[in-house]
Amino acid sequence: MKEQLEEIRRRAIAELGDGAGADAVEAVRVRVLGRSGELTEIMRGMRDVAPAERPLMGKLINEIKREIEARIEELQTRLRIEELERSLASASLDVTLPGMKIPRGRMHPVTRIMEEMLDILCGMGFEVEYTQDVEDDFHNFAALNFPPNHPARDMQDTFFLPGGMLLRTHTSNGQIRVLERRRPPLAVVCPGGCYRRDDLSVRAAPAFNQIEGFMIDHRGRVTMSHLKGVLSAFAREFFGETRVRFRGSFFPFTEPSAELDIYCLLCSGAGCPVCKYSGWTEVLGCGMIHPNVLRAVKLDPGEYQGFAFGMGVERTALMKLGIDDLRLFYENDLRFLAQFPSVSGGV
Amino acid sequence: MKLPLSWLRKFVRIDEPAREIADRLSAAGLVVENIETVVPAFQGVVVAKVIEAGRHPNADRLSLCQVDAGPKGRFSVVCGAPNVHSGMIAALALVGARLAGADKGQHGDSVPRFEDLPPLEAATIRGVRSEGMLCSERELKLSTDHAGILELPPDAPIGVDLAEFLLLPDTVLDVEITPNRGDCLSIVGLAREVAAIFRLKLHVPRPRPPRSKPEADKLPRFSVEIAAPDLCPRYAALAMTDVKIGPSPIRLRRRLELCGMRALNNVVDATNYVMLETGQPLHAFDLEKIESGKVIVRRADGNGEFTTLDNLKRELQPDDLLIADQSKPLAIAGVMGGLNSEVSDSTSTILLESAYFEPDAIARTSRRLQLQSEASYRFARGIDRAGQVTALARVAELVGAFAGARPVGELTDVEARPAAARQIILDLGAMESLTGAAVAPAETRRRLKAIGAQVASAGRGSLKVIPPSWRGDLNEAADLAEEVARLSGLHEIPSDLPARVAARASVNPTRVFLRNTREVMLGAGLNEVRTLAFTAPADNERFPGVATGSRPVKVQNPLSVELSELRLSLLPGLTTALRFNLNRQAPSFHAFEVGKVFMTRDGSPGESMVLCGLSYGPYLMPDIGRKAIDGGFFSMKGILESWFDAMNVSGRVTYDAARAGEVPFLHPGRAASIGFEGSPIGYLGELHPQEAMRLELDGPCAVVELDLNKLISYGFAPRETIEIPPRYPAVRRDVALVLERELPAQAVIRAVTETASPLLESVEVFDVYEGPGVASGKKSVALACRYRSKDRTLTDEEVNRVHSALVEHARTRLGAELRQ
Repeated sequence: MKEQLEEIRRRAIAELGDGAGADAVEAVRVRVLGRSGELTEIMRGMRDVAPAERPLMGKLINEIKREIEARIEELQTRLRIEELERSLASASLDVTLPGMKIPRGRMHPVTRIMEEMLDILCGMGFEVEYTQDVEDDFHNFAALNFPPNHPARDMQDTFFLPGGMLLRTHTSNGQIRVLERRRPPLAVVCPGGCYRRDDLSVRAAPAFNQIEGFMIDHRGRVTMSHLKGVLSAFAREFFGETRVRFRGSFFPFTEPSAELDIYCLLCSGAGCPVCKYSGWTEVLGCGMIHPNVLRAVKLDPGEYQGFAFGMGVERTALMKLGIDDLRLFYENDLRFLAQFPSVSGGV
Repeated sequence: MKLPLSWLRKFVRIDEPAREIADRLSAAGLVVENIETVVPAFQGVVVAKVIEAGRHPNADRLSLCQVDAGPKGRFSVVCGAPNVHSGMIAALALVGARLAGADKGQHGDSVPRFEDLPPLEAATIRGVRSEGMLCSERELKLSTDHAGILELPPDAPIGVDLAEFLLLPDTVLDVEITPNRGDCLSIVGLAREVAAIFRLKLHVPRPRPPRSKPEADKLPRFSVEIAAPDLCPRYAALAMTDVKIGPSPIRLRRRLELCGMRALNNVVDATNYVMLETGQPLHAFDLEKIESGKVIVRRADGNGEFTTLDNLKRELQPDDLLIADQSKPLAIAGVMGGLNSEVSDSTSTILLESAYFEPDAIARTSRRLQLQSEASYRFARGIDRAGQVTALARVAELVGAFAGARPVGELTDVEARPAAARQIILDLGAMESLTGAAVAPAETRRRLKAIGAQVASAGRGSLKVIPPSWRGDLNEAADLAEEVARLSGLHEIPSDLPARVAARASVNPTRVFLRNTREVMLGAGLNEVRTLAFTAPADNERFPGVATGSRPVKVQNPLSVELSELRLSLLPGLTTALRFNLNRQAPSFHAFEVGKVFMTRDGSPGESMVLCGLSYGPYLMPDIGRKAIDGGFFSMKGILESWFDAMNVSGRVTYDAARAGEVPFLHPGRAASIGFEGSPIGYLGELHPQEAMRLELDGPCAVVELDLNKLISYGFAPRETIEIPPRYPAVRRDVALVLERELPAQAVIRAVTETASPLLESVEVFDVYEGPGVASGKKSVALACRYRSKDRTLTDEEVNRVHSALVEHARTRLGAELRQ
C-alpha cells in the first residue's frame, strides 16, 4: 500500500509540472482527490490494513494529500493570474473616449456676482433682508425724501401698477421696510429686483437687481468716515486691489451724498469709451442717511445717524466680467452661461 | 448744462486747464460728462469795415467795395451779397485765407484740416480785381445762412482776427446737473461753483435798473395781478417799445448755440441768453395782444384747451397755472408761451416777464403735458427765489442794445408772498460727528460764504447760516455739512472702519433656502436662468402659473404690448430661453429659475416667489454606444424628489394626477398636481403636444412650477432626532400584484402599508408590467417589501407570516390577484 501511495504521489507530482494546463490540473484533482479518487479509495481500504500500521499509513495519506492540494492550489493561482493577464490584454478601452455626462447646471452670473457681494458684506457684519418689489409711493419715494412731482423722481422713470402701486425703482425701499420693523443699531443689506422704464439695450434694462445697504447707530458712532472705510474695503475685496475715489453727488435720501468710483477695470485708468476717457468708472451711490428718512421711520435724527449705499448688480457684473452688453444677462444663452462656474466657489 | 469756458471766464478769472476744471467740478458733485473743443472753421479772416460799397462797373448785381482792415490794410473787394452797404462791419477773408464753409461740403461736418483746403486767391471778377472775400455765415461755418454776408456789431474792433473776436477756439464742458441744483443751470451758478472750488473771486455785474422818461400817456400801460400767490409768489414785468425785431449779434447767437439753443430773433434770443446766464427764465409777450394790458396770474380753474408756441393744442386742468389777460390765457406759466401773444416780426411793444413759480406746480403741469422746456426744466428744479428783478434789468439792457427798444414806465415788481426767512444753526461738533472730518472753523466759514451764504457766529462752536436765495436745497445742518465736504471733493474725510463691522451677522433663512435650492438644481443638471418680469397678455393666458384663477397685474405705462403685464408664471421666460437656445443649435435645454411672479390679490397687485424648471432633450448621456435618456416627467420628478429629500419634507408632499383642464397647457395624461401638507403648491408635467408644436419641439418637454412660500418657511431644517442605524439584518420579500390599470402606485403603497406589521421597514415599487401574461386593462405592480426588527434577527417563519398577512390584505383591499 505504501508503494501504491508513493506511486500516486510520483505520478501526480509529475503531471503537475510547471507546464500543466488548467484541464490537466483539474484531471489530477479529480483522479487523486475526487470523491472516488485514488486517495479516497485508499482511505476506504484502510480497514484491511493491520491496526498497528494504520496511524503511519493515515499520516502518509494526509501528507500526500496536502502536498498535492498545495501543488494544485499553487498551479491554479498561477493559472488564474495568467488567465487574468490574457483577458486584460484583450479588454483594453479607448481611454480618449468621453466619459459619461454627469449633468451639472451653471449658476447665472448675476446670481453669482450678487452672492459674492452679499458674502463680502455679510462678512463685514451686514445681515440680509428681502423686501418687496411691488411697492407703494410712500416706501419707494415719499419716505425717502422724494417730494411729489420732484424732478428727482424723473431720474427713475417708474412703472405704475393698478391701485396706486408701483414697481420699486430701487432697493432703497428696504431701508424703510426694515426700519419700520426693527430699531438701530442695525447693519442690513437688501438685495433684489428693481424696475425702470428703459428698453432692453446694451446699457439698460427694464428690470435689474440692486443691493441696498445701510448701517445705523447712535449719533457719531457711524460717520461718513465709516462709509468710506466700509465701501473701500468692499471695493478692494470685490474688485481686487484697486484705487477708489469718492466724489460728491446727489440722492434725495442721503445728505451728504457721494459716489464711489474705481479705476476703470477695462483700461486701468488709461481712458476708454466705457469710462468716458476719465479713467474712472462709477460703482455705487452712497451717503449719510437724510434726516427726513429717519423722521419718516420715526427715528430722531438728533439721536441716530447712519450711512446707506446702493449698487447695481448687473452693471457691476459687466465691469467685473469685462463685457459690455447687458443683454447677455437676459438671453440665457447656454454658451454664455457655460463659462461660469457651477459651484459656489469664487469666480 | 453746457458751459463754454469763454463765458465762464466772464465771471471768474480761471486759467486752469479744462481737464482740471472738469475733474474738480466732478468731485464736487457736478459731473462733467464731456469736454468739447470748438475750433474755428476758417483761418485768415479779419474784422473789417466797408468804407464804400459802389456799383461794379461791369455787373449790375455785384458791388465793388473798399474795405478797411485796419493794420492789415485796405482792400478792393468784389461782393455779390445784397446786404452789403457802406459803414458795415463785416468779415473779410484775406488772400491766403482758408474757409471750410466755402469748400462745398466735401468735408461734411468734420473739423477741416486747413492744410487740405485751397487758400483764397486774388481774382479778377468781370474785369475787376478782388483782393479778398466778404464772407457769409455759411462760408465761415457759423450757420447755414447764405442770404447775405455776416454783419458784425458796429463796435467790433477792425483788423482783429475774426476767430479771436468770436472767442475761438473755445472749450465747452457738458455738466450733468443733479435735480437739487437748479442754481447750476446757469453760467453764473457754475462760475460760483468754480470760484468756490478754486478759491477765486466771483464777478457778477449788477445791471442798472432801466430808467425811462416819464413821458406820454399815449404809451401802452399794463398791470399785474397775482391771483394764485401760493403758486406764484413774485412776478416782475417791464414793457418796452420801439422794438425792431431782427437777428441778434453773432457773438450772442454763437453763445446760445454753444449752449445747445437755437437763435430766433433779438428779443427771444436776449431772454434765452439771460436765462442761460442767470438761470432765470424770461418770457416776452407782444403787449398789444394783451387785452387792456392786464396780466393775471391765475389757475386755469376749469378745463380747456390752449395753443402753445409750438402750435400744439394743450389740454388744461384746473390746477395748471396760467398767465392770462381778462379774456384769455396767454401762457402756461413757466412751461410755454401761447401762440396768441407770441412776439412776431411786426411786434413793436413787448412785455417782458420775470417771475418765480413754485417748482412743484410747474413740474406737475410739465410732466402731465409731457412738455419740457428750458424754462420749465429750471422752474421745476427751483430758480433763485430773489433773482427776478436783476434778470429783468439784464434782459432790458440786451433788448435795448440789440433791438433798439426802450423801456416804458417803471419796472413792475409784484411780490404776493415774500420768501420765508431761512436760518440754519450749524453745530460744528455735530458736523464733524456726521462726516468724521475735522474742518477748521475758518475754512468752514469760507466755503459757506463762497457758495453765497451769510455766516455769523452763533456762540461756542456754532454758526448761524442764512443760505443764499438761489439755494432752496439748503434747509438743515446736514445740507451744510454736504456743502463743506463736497467743495474739497470729499478728500478730507478719512477712511475708517466702524466697531460694528466686527460683529457676526445673523443668517437669513430665505437666503439659505434659495442658495440650497440652487445647489440642488445645479447639481441635478439644471442651468440657472434669469428672465424679465414683464410679459405679453397672451403668455399670461397661456401659462397662468401656480395660483390658479388669479388675474394678472397690468402695467399702467408699459414699454410695449409684449411687456404690458407682469408674469403670472416663469414659464414664458423659460420657454423663450428654450427657443433662443434651440435656435442656436443647442441639443438640449435643462434649466430652472427662482423668481417672483405677480398677481392681483383682493384687487391689488401682489407678488410671490416661485421655482420653475424645464427639461427638454437628452438629459443623461451615458458612455458611447448606450442610449441617452431624455428629460421627461420622471427625470423632472426625480429632481424634485431629491430636492424635497434634501429639505427633509418628502413625507409632506403628494402627487396627484391633474384633473381634466386643471393645467391646460400640460399633456392631459402626463400632468400632476403637487400638494404640500394637503394644499396645492404647483404642477409637474410634460407640455401639451399642441404647446410643444407651437414651440416647434420634437419631443417631450417636462416642466414644473412651485410656489415657494410654504417651503421657505420650512427651509432646509436638519432632522430633529438622529436615529441609530439598526444592527439586525433585513429580509426582503417580493410580491407582484395584478391590478386595475388606472390604480396609481401611490394608492397601492398606501393600501399595502395601512395595516402592515411594524416589522415592515419599507415598500418600494420596482417594476410595473403590462402585456402578455397580464389580462388587458390590468397591470402587474412588483413590490419589494423589506422587513426588519430592531431587537432581533427575524426568522423565516416570522417573515413569512407577516408578509402573507400583508399580501392577503392587499388582495382583498385592492381586488388584486397574485402574479405567478
